Order: sequence, then structure tokens, then C-alpha cells
Amino acid sequence: MDLPIRRLLRPRDPQEAVELLARHPGALPVAGGTDLVVQLRRGKLAADTLVDLGGLGLAGIAEGAEGLEIGAATTMDTIAADARVRAGWPALAQAASQVGAWPIQCRATLGGNLANASPAADTAPPLLIADARLRLLSCRGSRTVPAAEFFAGPGRTVRAPDEIILSVLLPPRRLGPHATAHERFAKVGPRREQIISVVSLAARIVVQSDGSVGEVALAVGSVAPTPRRARRAEEVLEGCRLTGAVRREAVAALEEELAPIDDVRAPAWYRRVAAAVLLDRFLAEVAGG
Amino acid sequence: MAEGVRVRLRLNGEDREFWVPPGRRLLDLVREDAGLTGTKEGCGAGECGACTVLLNGRPVTSCLVLAASCDGAEVVTVEGLAAATGEPHPVQRAFVEAGGVQCGFCTPGVAVSGAAIVARGVRDAAERARLLSGNLCRCTGYLAVLEALERAGEASDGEA
Amino acid sequence: MARRERTSVPPPGGAGPSPGHHPRPDAWGKVLGRTRYVGDLSLPGMLHAALVVSPVASARLRSLQLAAARSVPDVVAVLTAADIPGANSVGVIFPDQPLLAVDRVRMVGERLALVAARSPEAAAAAVRAVQVQLEPLPAVHDPVAALAPGAPLVHEGGNLIRTFHVVRGDVARQESRATVVFEGEYRIGGQEHAYLEPQGCLVVPEGRQRCTVYASCQCPFYVQQAVARVLGLPLAAVRVIQTPTGGGFGGKEDYPSEPAACAALLAWHTGSPVRLLYPRELDMQLSSKRHAMVVRHRWGADGKGRLRFAEVETFMDAGAYIGLSTVVAERANVSAIGPYHVPAVRVRTHVVYTNNLFGGAFRGFGAPQVTFAGEATMDALARRLGLDPVEFRRRNVLDDRRRTTCTGTKLPRPVLARQCLERAVEAAARTTPTPPGRGHAVGTGVGLVLYGCNLHHGGQRLDRSSAVVLLQGDGSVVVRVGLTEMGQGLLAAVQAVAAQALGVPPQAVEVCLPDTSTVADSGPTVASRGALVAGRAVLDAVRRLRRRFDPVAAQLLGCGPRQVELAGGYARVRGEPARAVPIAEVAAEMAARRIEPIATGWYRSRPRRFDAATGQGGAYDFYATACHVAQVVVDAELGLVRVVRVVAVHDVGRVLHRPALEGQIHGGIVQGMGWAVTERLAVAQGRLENPSFTDYLIPTASDAPLVEIEAIEAAGGHGPWGSKGIGEPSLIPTAAAVRNAVCDALGIELFELPLSPPALVAAQGRRHPFAWLLDRSAERDGPAQAPAAPSPVEAG
Repeated sequence: MDLPIRRLLRPRDPQEAVELLARHPGALPVAGGTDLVVQLRRGKLAADTLVDLGGLGLAGIAEGAEGLEIGAATTMDTIAADARVRAGWPALAQAASQVGAWPIQCRATLGGNLANASPAADTAPPLLIADARLRLLSCRGSRTVPAAEFFAGPGRTVRAPDEIILSVLLPPRRLGPHATAHERFAKVGPRREQIISVVSLAARIVVQSDGSVGEVALAVGSVAPTPRRARRAEEVLEGCRLTGAVRREAVAALEEELAPIDDVRAPAWYRRVAAAVLLDRFLAEVAGG
Repeated sequence: MAEGVRVRLRLNGEDREFWVPPGRRLLDLVREDAGLTGTKEGCGAGECGACTVLLNGRPVTSCLVLAASCDGAEVVTVEGLAAATGEPHPVQRAFVEAGGVQCGFCTPGVAVSGAAIVARGVRDAAERARLLSGNLCRCTGYLAVLEALERAGEASDGEA
Repeated sequence: MARRERTSVPPPGGAGPSPGHHPRPDAWGKVLGRTRYVGDLSLPGMLHAALVVSPVASARLRSLQLAAARSVPDVVAVLTAADIPGANSVGVIFPDQPLLAVDRVRMVGERLALVAARSPEAAAAAVRAVQVQLEPLPAVHDPVAALAPGAPLVHEGGNLIRTFHVVRGDVARQESRATVVFEGEYRIGGQEHAYLEPQGCLVVPEGRQRCTVYASCQCPFYVQQAVARVLGLPLAAVRVIQTPTGGGFGGKEDYPSEPAACAALLAWHTGSPVRLLYPRELDMQLSSKRHAMVVRHRWGADGKGRLRFAEVETFMDAGAYIGLSTVVAERANVSAIGPYHVPAVRVRTHVVYTNNLFGGAFRGFGAPQVTFAGEATMDALARRLGLDPVEFRRRNVLDDRRRTTCTGTKLPRPVLARQCLERAVEAAARTTPTPPGRGHAVGTGVGLVLYGCNLHHGGQRLDRSSAVVLLQGDGSVVVRVGLTEMGQGLLAAVQAVAAQALGVPPQAVEVCLPDTSTVADSGPTVASRGALVAGRAVLDAVRRLRRRFDPVAAQLLGCGPRQVELAGGYARVRGEPARAVPIAEVAAEMAARRIEPIATGWYRSRPRRFDAATGQGGAYDFYATACHVAQVVVDAELGLVRVVRVVAVHDVGRVLHRPALEGQIHGGIVQGMGWAVTERLAVAQGRLENPSFTDYLIPTASDAPLVEIEAIEAAGGHGPWGSKGIGEPSLIPTAAAVRNAVCDALGIELFELPLSPPALVAAQGRRHPFAWLLDRSAERDGPAQAPAAPSPVEAG
């Protein structure tokens, strides 16, 4: 059955895209469509006009002075397979390979995954721990928004209706001598593949040569209205050695900053336990390795 | 009335042009406009994989793809997997021989994803299963299907 | 990783046919994308149907405003109950269910009106334009609560539909000899079939006198009866042709009659072909489900580890209409004890109306639920006796010595339940999984089943089958049967049987999907009976055909008709294989002499006696046994179950078609595993809250376990050459085996299905390493944050 839209506009560059969005109030931008089409079909979203962002040249990954820049239209399987992402931002590569299933990963874009602003968006926690920034464009010009400030609530972001995501910037990471970085993305769902996260965790810890935690960044998904950093747990861990007591304290701190809900996928209490398990396993792995 | 949109495709190796409503899904273009009913609709939400086609060489769930966004693309459906000579794709042959076909409704999508997996040269069984996990099958328990993919992969390794 | 392994015990003495292993006749069309399912069929002028359904579970229907819907462009018809020319009734057994609601709504998804339009988009717009006024009424959503005094009534006359019984032996006397008694209540969730092809049909009317229905269905004769009843037409005026059917599993047994009657009504009124295809969400909400059940047990065993008595009380949630629930209950009732010798048995099986999802047929037909409970109780008793669960089963399983079932049936020898158990346990022990990491545990569990093949006594009148065999002039053969192919491999099995009987290669035999105008009512394709009863009817038809064929062959061979044997594509003289003539030549000779080359065949099961009041007698025609042993790795901290390996030993009688048999076992195991682990119907106020594959989680390729199959071939069944059914026994014991394995891994007992991650975490109680975390959050936020889980039972 056709989707209930009346117009699909196919701009050829980003400027034309934002002009079309400005000219057609209520129009929605669409990239891979793997989430938007479902919502249109189920009547959860309605739009007269869609603006297709597929032909803007926004797909691709490039290295620059500011770090690694991933175009908003880059698909998940491209991100998951990219050697630079895998080496420098392994949590993002791992997350991208767990968004839906392979046929979705070949179509779903990074920009779309962020713009939908699902609390369960798998690429969000890895970007949060990378201190990523989003480049946005509208008729009013371009701006850069930290990933941590992008999400406003379930399905809501600071993106204006006539604004598009151009790219995501991953600032370069520098590792001191004798320091070891550990990074992982993990998600929990009842099934092994093709599952919407019940809880997800992206975590990065740099261990100094003396065994203490140098840098730490933790972000969780599906346990709050938006994906978010777990700052309190980070504070507990900073500078510490990963003893059993510290791990327990970090897990307790994490639990306090979660605000999960009960829904059809899991009860809130289970999400709390699962988040604790994910964090504790990561810390144990780091401590052990 | 909604405006018609022109969609030019290289569909199963043939250049085709369609005029479709803007809300048409690639799935419906393939099935209704092109008359290629091998591609199935099992859920309409990108979850079952019965509608999988190759879009520019990569598997996608065609129920979530707007046809108009594919203008200029190359699309291969289950009907286009066979060689130009009509010889079935090695994956198709392996499915028949390994008993990987039961009710058959998921089979076109499984065959398309399977062909893409074999083309990737995936040698790890767990990775093959992961890549196939977007194609739900309720009959086979996947065992014969995975065996078929292994066989087809070995066959194509032999040719290379 | 998922892999297939197989072993087979050859038939004694090498007698019997060689099993088919040729490619399925339907495989190439399907894999090339050429098979036409009903959604692939369209006709000029065809209209698209859509349903207006109730969003609430219990209400009075005050009014339907249809004018706006009728004025939607391209809408051709909007119909209500008042437009039905025949009976407004679609219940397959009892007339409690209307096609379209008149004044009362009893379930979410109750049909209120029907739409036909020139496009699916217009039909959907018209559905949205119908204004419905519903006055909510009290509803009941639990089968136990539904029987309490004062519960809201789903139908006048009470919520208890019927109670079935098994009464055997003296419970009080046996209880006095029991040293251990286990009591428990199991709460078992339903299951969605999740066939990949949603419900669909196409009805082509010919005026208002007759119509042809193309339907995705298991039971074309049910569809025929429903359409004829609703339209007020004779059966002969309704022709039903089964289209290639994308999975059934019971979900296309009775249910397709409902969409077919809807489309037929629209076709009757509009005079146009009408196609109705269910969107997935609607399909999942409306179509029948495996019944949710509450099963209460009180079983006792003596100090020697022998079962003395078993009391079972089951509450089956039928939903708002009976459908097939009473028939499902018959099987659940007599399957409640399993393949064990128990001197005293009391089973009560209550079928109860609620305002929940529509309970119906699903692979196993009530047996998987009671088997889950029975096998869980076997493990519970074993633990309390300090016995190994396998050893406890050894002491109680039926065998050639003790072979009387709970219905008083003495099973014919050989009784293979013990062999199935021993071989499965032995094979499973060859390797055991190792825990992959912290917080993981491994476990092994056993599930045994005694499966009554074909229809229960209560459905005996339907246990019949029709076939037509037509020998073409070139020696090729057309076979028509009344049983359906829905993926399980019936075409391949029937092809193998016909080819074997006629001595031709399988490729020479074309087996057609059923058409009600060409074969007699053959009953439903259910109860693992399809290949068996279709095959028997084909053998009968071949026998009759040979009365005409053999004399012609004998003349060509210069021998007596009784000396003719058929093999390898030839008619030949028995004992002198060199004296042979191609079957094609005999066929050509028959054509030349104008000898009738077509024969019909018939099969019916032997009549049996059964006392419904006591549940004693011939419940089934014959029996099969099977044992599954599951090995699991459980992530105890997250409550995640991974089934890594299942060993399945099945008493199959004879293998008719090897790949079809293995495919059935693989599919049954994975479907049973899904039900055990991830498939949860989230029902709230009668509404399914997860009607999509996004949230109703069936197994994917990554979940497939290693499956090892052993098929014991000792004949004993009433299918061709002694074969027995495999479709259902392949699923029935799996969930029980998985549950027992998970309990073994975690050292706890679980009483609910599915084994969801939260349930597994909650069941560990204080033993969970992060229990302290929940204490903290409960202290802070109040007890509402704590898990609402049943109190866990520690293993003894």
C-alpha cells in the first residue's frame, strides 16, 4: 500500500534541501526511511511532503583536522565496516552492526538514527562517549551541537523542523604513553540479533600505567527519556583503581542516575539490573585485562 | 491528486522507467508496477525480510524504501538472481538440494540475502547466521538454510 | 553453531520402502520466486477488502455511521451484519461467533463492518471514516477469575464452556502410598503462529449463484462450509482452491474461514472479485493463538521413585468464542500425564470464555502446555526424591511391559518411549557445553511426549481422506488429495508414496493442491495426519487403478495379472525383472483401448470407543513417542537463555520423505524453543500490545541451536508402510526440555512460560548478584520499583 504522502522532493544539495523544508512547513526529511516509513505507515507520524536526503552527497567518512567526520547519510553497514571507525571508535562500529538486522543496516543512516531520537537508538551512546558533535544546516546557516545536547526527549531533538543533520564529527582521541584504552558497546535484549535495546551501554576507559582510571566515559540507552552520559558513575571511577568496592560503588551511582520506564519490552526494574550487569562486566573486563 | 514521480531503474539487468505515486514503496513498484511478485510482503515494517531485494548490490527491505528515492539505482529481485543464461543462482540450487525450502514465503528474501552473503565470501558460520537474522523463517528452523549457504559458499570458493 | 546432524536406525530386516529424498516438487518454484501465493493473484476489476474492527474487548455496539466511509472515492461497498444473506455465523463447531457483530462486542478485533474498494488505500481510508459508537461493558481477562461467581459474562449462560475429564484408579488409595507429593501451579503463555504469509484470500463470484474461493488455508473444506453458510449457498456452489500457503501451524486451520466469509460477502454484494489480505498487525491481533493456560498439579510418588497418582486441573483461556477450543481441550486433557505409568489419575480440563485473544489450533493442540507442566513436575518430584530426573523417568516411563496410558489404552508393542529417552540422553551426553564467561551457567533438560496420532475420538467423524489418481497416456501421473501443503512437505511425501506404489520416479507424479470440486471432504490438515491419511487414500486409489492396469500390463508381458509388479518405471513379471514393459507403454495401451485411467481412493480410521465422562477408551488411533534433550547456556545475571543443542529422538514409524521429516523436526524444535524463551504475547485489556515482529520475538537464524535427529523406524503407525505423524511431536517436548535445562542451570524451579529475562532474574531472588541494587532502589523509590515476580522456589 502506498504511504499517505502527496509529495516526495529530491533536492540535489543540502542548501536546496533546507530551502525546500523551509518552504513546505510540516514536511519531513527522510534518509534511509527505515524508521520513518514504519511510523508513517502506522499513522504515528503524518506528513504531506517528504524531502529525500539521499541525493545530497552526505554519505561517506572522511578524516580531517577536527577528527573523523561521518556524513549523516552514511549507512550502518558502512560505519560498521570502516577500518578507521573500528580502530578509533570501536563502540560505534559495534553499535552500528547491531541496529536492526543486515538489510536494515544497509539502508539505515547515522543521521536518521539520531534524528529519530529513540531512547534506544544504538548509535547514540557511542557518540556520547566520543564527545561527538553534530553539524546541522538550515536556511539560517549551519551550527554545531554536541551530541550530549542534541536529544530533548523521546522522539524529540533540538533540530529545527527545517534543519538537517549534515554530519557527525568525532574529535580525535589521544592516548598517552603506557595508557591502555578499553571501549565497548553492549546491548541487552531477549533475542541475540535484530532486537531493540532493552538497555545499552557504551563505555570507554583509559587505564594508566599505574592501573588507575585515567579517562572514563559511560553512556546508556533505553533507561531514560534520552540516551545519556552516566556522569555520576564516571566521577566515581575517575582516578580510581578498579577494585571490587569501586566497581560496586560505580554500579550504585549508575543505578541512581537511571530513569527507566516499564513498557512492553521490559519492566523498569529489569533495566536497572541489566544496566548494572553491563557496567560491572565492562569494569571487570578492564580490571582483568 | 498526488503528483506522479518518474523512477528509472536498472531492474534485474534491464533499464526500466516507471511513473508512480510519491508514496509508493519499492516493494509495490516491484510487485505491482513491474509485475515481479516473487518479492513478498510479510510484515510491512522491515522486520521479516520477505521483501528483501538488492539495491545497488546491497540487501534492503523494500517495504521501507520509497520507490522515488531509488531513481537511477540498480535493483535485483529474486527473479533476477539467476544468470542471464537462466541458470539458477548457486544459492537457489543449494536451497533446493539442502531442503532449505518449506512454505516458501520467506524463501525469495532469504535467497536474496543469501546471495549477498555468499557474494561477500563470509566464511564464519556465526557471521552468516548474523547476516541472515533479518530474514525470519518459521518453517525450517534455519538449519537447512544455513547448511545451504555453507554449501553455496564452498561452491563459489571453488570457482574463484 | 547451528548445524544439522542425523542418524537413523534402519527398519528391521530392510523391509518396507526406501524413503523419498528427491527435491520437493514445490521447491524450485518457490526459490525462483515463481510460486503464486494469493497476494500475487489479481484479476481485472478486483476490489480490495478491509475490516472495521473493535478497539475494545467488551462493549455494546450502539451505532455504526457508514455514510462518510461510503463517500470515500473508489469505495464500492460498506457492509454490516444486516447485509448477510445466509447465517451470520462462522464458528467451526459451535454457532457462538458472528461474522459481523450485531449488538455486542466480545473481543478486541471483533468485526463490525466490511469495506471493498478499488484500491487498498481507499479501503483503508474508508475504514478510518467509519464512526463507531461503543458502550464499554465489564470484561474478564483471566480464565480462573472468569469462573468466579459474579464475573462478567462473555456470553449469556456462563463462562465455563465445558470441562473434560480423565478418571482412572483410586487416588486416595494411591496417595496413601506416596511419600512425596508435589503441588504447583503453572502459568503458561499463548503463542502466535507467525506464519510468514499473513491470512489472505481471493473470492471470484459468478453472480450470486456460485463463487470460487482462492485461499491460503489448511482446511479448504472448512472454508467451503463457512462461505456456503454465510451466503446461504449449497456446498456445491462454493468451490475452494487452496493457494500455495505460506505457513500454517494451526493458524490456518479454522481461522481462514473468517476472512474468506468476509471477502465472499463483499464479492456476493459487489459482483466483483474481492481480495482480502491481512496486514501483519491485524493478523496478529485477530487470528487464533495457542491457548494461554493455567495448569495446577498435585502429583505423588512413592519411596521407590514410582508415580502413584496425578491430579491435574487446567484452565484454558478460549477467548471470546469457542472456535476449536473444545477440541484442543480434548487433546490437552488426555495428554496431561505424558508417557508414564500412573495408577491413579484425575484430570479436569476447563474451557473458559474470556475477553482475551482468540484461542485456537496451534501445532501440538493443547499438548505442549500440559507437557510443559507434566515434565516440569517430573523434574520437581525427582528433586524431592533425590533422584536424577532421567532416572526418575526411567522408573515410570511406559514400555513393552507397562504400556497402559492414562486413558486405559494398551499401546501395541513396541512401545518406544524408553528407547527414545535412553538414546536421547546417551547422545546428549557425548558433549556438554561450557559456560562462556562470568555469570553464565549450563544445564540439560529432558522432555518426553506420548503423542496420539491423527484426530481425537471426538473428531473421529472427520478422520477420512479422499484421493484421485490419474494415469496419463505418457505414463506420468496426476494425484489429487484433500490434504494441504503449507510448507510441511505433504506434496513431497504424497509424491513419494504414489511414486513408490506405481513404480515410477517421483518426478513423474504431479500432486495438486486441494480443490473442493475434485476430491471429497477429507477433513482438516491437522494433527500431523496429512501425509498419513492422504498417502493411505492414494494407496487405495492405486490399488483400484491397478485392477484395470495390471490386466493390460499382463497381456503385454504375457503373464498373469497377479504376476505384475511395478518398479523403476516398468511393469514387470514378478521374479523375472528382465521381462518388463515401460509403464508409459502400458498407459498408452490403456488409452488406445479406452480403459478408464483414473481411480479414486478413500481412507478412514477404524472406529473406536471412548467414554467422555471418564476419559477412558480409544482416544487416538495410534501413538508416537519422542524425547528431546536440550542443552542451554544461561546468562544468569541478565536472564538470557541460549539453547545450544537439542537432541531429538522420534519414533516415526517409517520415513516417507527424509528432508521433509528433518525439516519438520528442525522447525518444530525452533518454534517450540521460541515459545519457551522469547515469544511473549503482551495482552492488556484483551489487546495485543506487541502485534509486530519488532516486539513479538520469534527466533532468528542466530538463535538456531545445533539439532541432532535420530528417527527410529519400527513401523507401528497407520500411515503408509507404518508411518506416524511428525508435525506436532517435533514441537511438543521442546519447551519442557528447555525449561528443565534452564532450571538445571540455575538451580531453581520456574512455573511460567515464556522464560523471559525479567522472570529469570526475579526467580533467582536473593541469589542474583545484583539483588542488593533492587533493595536500594526499593528503599529509595518505594516497593513499586521492585520486581513483581512470583516468590522463587529454591531447589531442594
